[in-house]
Amino acid sequence: MAWEYIGDILRLTVLGGLGAAGILTVLLWKKNLATKITFLRLVVQAVAFTALFYVFSLKLPLLYFFIFIFAITLFLGRFYCGWLCPFGFVMDIEVMLRKALGIRYRILPERFNGILHKLRYVIVAVFLALPIALWFLQPPQNLNFADAMAKLLAGPFRPYTALIDPLIPVVVPWTSNAVNVAHINFTYPYVQDIIFWAGQNIGEAIALVFIGLTLASSFVFRRFWCRFCPTGVSLAVVNRFKGFKWAPLLHIEKDEEKCTKCGVCKRVCPAQVTEVYEQKGGKINTSMCMLCLRCAEMCPYAETLKVNIGNKTVFKSRNWLEPPKVE
Amino acid sequence: MKNEKVEKKYIPEIPAKEIDELKSTIQASSEKIMAENIERMKKTDPKRPQAMKYFDEISNLFGQRQRELAAEKEKGKKIIGYMCLFAPTELILAADAIPVRVNSGWYDTSKIGDRVVPVEVCPVIRSTIGAKMIGLSPFLEQSDALISVLTCDGMTKLGEILSDYKTIWEMNIPRVKDAPHSLRFWDDEIINMKKQIEQFTGNKITRKSLKAAIEQSQKATRVFRRLQDLRKGNPIIMGRDAMLVNQAYLWDDKERWTEKASALCDELEKRAERKDWVCPPDTPRVLVTGTPMFWPDSWKVPNLVEEADPKGIIVADELCSGERILNDPVGVDEWTMDDMLNAIGERYLMASTCPCFTSSDGNEDRINWLLNKVKESNVQGVIYYVTRGCMLYAMEYTRVKKALDKINIPMYYLDTEYTREDVGQMKTRVEAFLEMLTARADM
Repeated sequence: MAWEYIGDILRLTVLGGLGAAGILTVLLWKKNLATKITFLRLVVQAVAFTALFYVFSLKLPLLYFFIFIFAITLFLGRFYCGWLCPFGFVMDIEVMLRKALGIRYRILPERFNGILHKLRYVIVAVFLALPIALWFLQPPQNLNFADAMAKLLAGPFRPYTALIDPLIPVVVPWTSNAVNVAHINFTYPYVQDIIFWAGQNIGEAIALVFIGLTLASSFVFRRFWCRFCPTGVSLAVVNRFKGFKWAPLLHIEKDEEKCTKCGVCKRVCPAQVTEVYEQKGGKINTSMCMLCLRCAEMCPYAETLKVNIGNKTVFKSRNWLEPPKVE
Repeated sequence: MKNEKVEKKYIPEIPAKEIDELKSTIQASSEKIMAENIERMKKTDPKRPQAMKYFDEISNLFGQRQRELAAEKEKGKKIIGYMCLFAPTELILAADAIPVRVNSGWYDTSKIGDRVVPVEVCPVIRSTIGAKMIGLSPFLEQSDALISVLTCDGMTKLGEILSDYKTIWEMNIPRVKDAPHSLRFWDDEIINMKKQIEQFTGNKITRKSLKAAIEQSQKATRVFRRLQDLRKGNPIIMGRDAMLVNQAYLWDDKERWTEKASALCDELEKRAERKDWVCPPDTPRVLVTGTPMFWPDSWKVPNLVEEADPKGIIVADELCSGERILNDPVGVDEWTMDDMLNAIGERYLMASTCPCFTSSDGNEDRINWLLNKVKESNVQGVIYYVTRGCMLYAMEYTRVKKALDKINIPMYYLDTEYTREDVGQMKTRVEAFLEMLTARADM
């Protein structure tokens, strides 16, 4: 069957990706490209992608991932989104493809972008409220805690695990989440749910439209999905409250005097974050930032933007006209 | 080229004989002044870097560069002049044309400009008009078109007045630069300028040529920054020499300038290793800001500061004829045409500290730049140089003064004219200021 061959090809593509990750890592050590954040990020993403591919093969419960993302977000902000998320990696590959074709991205109107960011919270609230609604719709027969939890978390409704669906935009042939679209074991965020809720036939059609739309829009707009991704609801929100000022530990800091407000940081940001540009100085406080650190990389004024973990600076903007000094 | 017979809106008729006379006398005196300036620079620093020799030659406005431009013109290349730093030189370079800045620093021509505009007007403007009236400035004469950016009042009308002679392209610049629609507006101006340059030169600006032009100017910026970084440490080069190098970029061939300035930096680095300082490290370190100082006549203040007794050294400046020329690189994200054009737009508008801008916080960028420069270059005193009629710089003085008072850096307001008559009086003022700086350092 032709479909099976395509499935094989896709699987081989993934394996090719793993190989590429290895090559990139070797390049990183050999050519001293670690100072280039974009390159470093690509390597980390590829490695994370590989690791995830492996972890999925262990068939771990998705709840573990949920806890992992939650923990990493609490301590490092949305570092996960910028550096580890496989769906983000897919979108970044799309960006590379777009660059190769010489097409420029489009920019979302700032207001619309803001609305999308608020939409995240609505989506998360709906997901979190779903179990309660389901509880009333289908009251459990016996009040066994384990059974109830199993139904809510791992059952066909999977309201909580759906939150981390952006983890699976890969061809994972052996996971239980795989959907068989046209004989290919195919995983894509939310496709499973769409088919579950809308039925096999219509569901497949809707799913294909959904996949097409999300892929196309993140081709046109940089990191489109990330702007309303429920997984990426950042705990940076938390640090607006007193007592949580320490979280997240990883953040960008701006030096007001060195900044000439040239606007490069604003333009290069894939999530169209404006705070880095608009804020006068100090700790950048926004849950929209995915910490991809593109702004710190592109800022042409030395030490204007700093990336801190706690009080320790791990990366700072430098005069990128000079080649990096090998130490 | 405009038809010479079109009735002139501003410029009065001057007999050809008078023009010739004026031109030959002023050119002769100007050549003398340029040679004298260089002589004075050599005297202040007897072991001047070898690489400065090239810049001494290229700084002769009536010399080598003029002949080169004439030869290029012969070959069919267009020369596009500009009055403000906001003119996108990358676009000019990408269209295979030559950008030159045409502001005039001649004191004598400002008196000729008086026939067109009143003496209250900024002398830079009057002098440029005067230079054009008698055809003195070689670069202004050779340019086929002029880009006039409507920044300060003087520049706005200067373009209009010069349109009696030349094709003028006006670029409307937004005065409040931190609003998003200002940038959109300016981006449109850049795109429009690209079209105009393409049409005028007949060369299409392609993705490739623009990328090459941007990379060329990034290379120049890199060397430029290297030179300014060298000035931050112990005095390794006299301020005037560095200022001359910086300013030579405005009319020199960009590639050659990069090469020669790089050679100068190499030489200076070697000297720094030997700890071969150009003057004692405790010489008062001065920053100059305010009205641009154009070669050759407007070299008055740098000359005074570095020849005064006690001697000072200019370690940094905030002049659009100095460190502002190349401080900011064009930061391109993706090398597509649109992105490059936007990057150029941002580099020229957003990063500038010209006092013609304001915002909700006023021209805060300039204050931040100055504070940063003062700290980085370890500046001990600031000279705020204003020519009479330069409104924007004069009006920002109070705010700058307050900001510098906060970090306890003395600032001196030095107002003058395009004239040599007040040199003696200014010498006393500058020396008193430098003496005060020395006394402060001893305390």
